[in-house]
Amino acid sequence: MGKFDGRRIFVVEDETLVLFNLEDILADLGCEVVGQAMRLDQAVTQAQAVGEVDAAILDVNIGGTTVFPAAEILAQRGIPLLFATGYGRDGLPPEWQDHAVIMKPYSPQDVERALSPLLARAGA
Amino acid sequence: MDEVDFARIFDVLPSPFMLLDKELRYVTANRAYLETVGRELSDIFGENLFDLFPNSGESGRRLRESFDRVMATGKPDTLPYLAYPIARSAEGEMEERFWTAVHVPVLDEGGSVRYVLQNTVDVTEIARMRAASTVPFTALSAETQLIERTREAEASNADFRRLFQQAPAFFAVLSGPRHVFTFASDSYLRLVGGRSVVGHTVADALPEIRGQGLIELLDRVFSEGYVHQAEGARVMLVRSEGKPPEETFLDFTYHPIRDADGTITGVFVQGMDRTEAVRATQRQRILIDELNHRVNNTMATVQSIASQTLRSTADPATARDAFQARITALAKAHNMLSDRNWHDTEIGCLVVQELSAYGDGQISCEGPRLVVNSKATIALALLLHELATNAIRHGALSVPEGKLSVNWSSDEATNLVIDWREEGGPPAIAPARRGFGSRLLDTVVTGELGGQLDLRYQPAGLSARLVIPPAAYLARELTLG
Repeated sequence: MGKFDGRRIFVVEDETLVLFNLEDILADLGCEVVGQAMRLDQAVTQAQAVGEVDAAILDVNIGGTTVFPAAEILAQRGIPLLFATGYGRDGLPPEWQDHAVIMKPYSPQDVERALSPLLARAGA
Repeated sequence: MDEVDFARIFDVLPSPFMLLDKELRYVTANRAYLETVGRELSDIFGENLFDLFPNSGESGRRLRESFDRVMATGKPDTLPYLAYPIARSAEGEMEERFWTAVHVPVLDEGGSVRYVLQNTVDVTEIARMRAASTVPFTALSAETQLIERTREAEASNADFRRLFQQAPAFFAVLSGPRHVFTFASDSYLRLVGGRSVVGHTVADALPEIRGQGLIELLDRVFSEGYVHQAEGARVMLVRSEGKPPEETFLDFTYHPIRDADGTITGVFVQGMDRTEAVRATQRQRILIDELNHRVNNTMATVQSIASQTLRSTADPATARDAFQARITALAKAHNMLSDRNWHDTEIGCLVVQELSAYGDGQISCEGPRLVVNSKATIALALLLHELATNAIRHGALSVPEGKLSVNWSSDEATNLVIDWREEGGPPAIAPARRGFGSRLLDTVVTGELGGQLDLRYQPAGLSARLVIPPAAYLARELTLG
């Protein structure tokens, strides 16, 4: 099985194919996708409703708007965040730049590298 | 004839007059004088002029000397050009003003001076015009015989003045420690929304710039004589009267203006409005960012198509064909979008383009003209491609007698409804294992587009009804992919 067996990941990604790829990468790493959203309203609802989460991977730009309202909720719950964006770190507003960022397109190794410290912090 | 009331005439004379005794105490003053100095007669009566209006500077000395000459000689004395600040309000705010003062002795019966009558003419506007017409090529002389030279100066500097007035760059001349506008070019006036600024302080004429650090800069230039240069400085400025301040970007310099003695008398302002250029750069930056974002997103999609295709297809040759076909479907959708500046496409064009490669007689497409945004375009293109591929491999298009109809419409709730109906081919059978195609169909419609999917595997063939809410497909002003 994978490196992060049984770790629970919350995913927001608005493009079907990119989501499939991320789901596959996470499955290969042994992670369980405990919640996923493709639109902001869904993301906000699920960010409140979803149970225990070890880390969240959030696409920054979802359908012309940004994921930050959902990120706010997750951050307040103390959930480590990994932002995925085609803009890179500079695409994040200053108040979010302390969080982990992954540049699209990403490889399975990129996701593994970016998740490692977040999941280590959350307790192995 | 009535007796002439000299006191009344004195009072209504339009120019300021006042009378001092030998100790320079006010005896009387007319209405024009009281208005000019902003006092009542009762405020000044019996008070020493210099106690009331202290001036330890050059102007005070010259004024005192002029009185002394009148007292000593019994002859009138004229100060053609006197800079003398006066309080412009009860709060004691001082305003720099220029005067021509004529002092006339009033003698007693014995022929000695009993009073001094002062008549002052406010020549501030003329002095300011003079300052404006000479700046920045000649310095002011403190001893200028102002009145005599104003006309000459105006004539000889009229061309320069016109040049400044009409220059594309903006110019303004500020005078004194409170930065009173004495000149502003046409372009400067355009910059500040056509407000009348000449004769007013910067703080009064452009109240919105208070707190933006510019007046403090002017203070420094005026008091320290340093030259301030700024490039692309962001200033919130009222550009049309009555409107809120707008973000404005300026290149500008503040230069001290000095007189012949080297004393700073004002500040010369020049600059260019760079707002349009800065905005154009910002727009370009946004476009480049947007392009980067789209390229990266497209790469992520291509990467995912490759990975999904390889995972779901065991045979390398089949996988290669499927990959190429999917990339081609994606590329065609991109081409349609780029033809329309990435705003939107028509659903009809999208359907026809995806199905045009297959048998003419077997396919019918129909629906009204409906525009869909860029995100829905990509999603629907990939989805239609998977449906068509499936029809060719397993469905109605796998046999010559099979028929496919694709109809679309907009329902009463403005949902986009797409009906995909296959007939005359082999019966449709639900797959034992959910493949890439059905996973994509389901996720695109219910997840990405937030709609409903009704997929039926029937003996007559596959039918699918897609209901997509308006929020997911209606074209937006700016669509970010």
